[in-house]
Amino acid sequence: MKIKTPYLTLLTGAALGVVLLVASMLATPKAPASPVAAAPAPASSAAAQSSPASPTPTATAVANVPARANYAGEVKGGGASVAISIHRGQAIAYVCNGSVIEAWLKGTAAGGHLTMTGKGGARLSATYNFKRAVGHVIAHGIRYAFSAPAVHKPSGLYQAIAIVRGAKIKAGWIVLPDGTQVGSLESNADAAAPSATQAPMLDVTTGTAQDGDTVLVATPVSGVTGSGF
Amino acid sequence: MATQPHTAPPPPGRVDSGAVKLVVPSLIGALVALTLGVYGHLHNPTGYAINIAGFSSPGAVKSWLATGAFVLALVQVGSALVMYGKVPRIAAPSWIGGLHRWSGRIAFLLAVPVAVHCLYALGFQNYSTRVLVHSLLGCAFFGAFTIKMLILPKSDLPGWTLPALGALVFTALTGVWFTSAYWFFSTFGIRH
Repeated sequence: MKIKTPYLTLLTGAALGVVLLVASMLATPKAPASPVAAAPAPASSAAAQSSPASPTPTATAVANVPARANYAGEVKGGGASVAISIHRGQAIAYVCNGSVIEAWLKGTAAGGHLTMTGKGGARLSATYNFKRAVGHVIAHGIRYAFSAPAVHKPSGLYQAIAIVRGAKIKAGWIVLPDGTQVGSLESNADAAAPSATQAPMLDVTTGTAQDGDTVLVATPVSGVTGSGF
Repeated sequence: MATQPHTAPPPPGRVDSGAVKLVVPSLIGALVALTLGVYGHLHNPTGYAINIAGFSSPGAVKSWLATGAFVLALVQVGSALVMYGKVPRIAAPSWIGGLHRWSGRIAFLLAVPVAVHCLYALGFQNYSTRVLVHSLLGCAFFGAFTIKMLILPKSDLPGWTLPALGALVFTALTGVWFTSAYWFFSTFGIRH
């Protein structure tokens, strides 16, 4: 029996799709779940309870929280942008209005909750899942609410650090999914309350920005790859 | 969808033989599109999938594969116009059917890895108009292509069926390409 060629085309495409999907599933690094869920003890005790319902909610809850993720978006009202990167329980965030208001924050991500702090009383609190991070951030005493979608390279957070005439300068850029970017540059990054100005435009293709006679080389801060952590 | 453009009511037997043959393929195609969309929505995007080495990012790989598929889709339209005798002063050469079939097959096979990456790593998303349109058209493209493949071997179909479905497939792919590869290249520059 001869299979008609259009059917063969469909079958070939479907087979290719399945092969690539399975290969991707095998190649995807296992997301380390929260330490509690990853430990073997709770798993065996859950099995010992012989209650089929009890492990399911745990598994679902863990599966809904990515171990590695990047988020970026405008704050409500559009006055600034925020970017958050999560990498195995650690989180780095940057909020920036493309001028003087900006803050770097660090903190932890666990069980879908983010708690982060930064210089000058900056604070961030949010919940996150595979799709977005939702919460608020306080920088320079201003409270911004946000709902930032998960983003993928080349969108996301970029950082450049350089020593110019003995002073540490630190620039940050947030590249949104639509390609727009905002960035600020701290010319005294080691100060307790760094002051910032508008950063030069980041060339996302080359990862560089020209600041006067200095070429700033930016690196992505990516929770997915671990770059910048 | 399967209504015939006949003005006079045709003999009952003719309606069945022509239009009924479209029903099952159309349902299967709709099911394909729906399945892709539902999977893309329910599956937790991993942000990761296997890819081709030598490119700067998955976005670049996909943009080039999609551009390849789009260029071949232009070949599809051109060769179809020649086959249907719509190009003045160009008679269909004997190899035009082969060109149409093989450019279509290759375009489809180029699009499959892109779709797998989209659905597995990124998922069906709606956070911007571009992304929503892309997600919808991406699912629609594979549904429409499935219908076209399923009805190709059937005879006795209304004459407008294949051109209409071909146009549908091409339109969907064009939309998919403009909302992804064109956006990628115009936003980040043409790079590999």
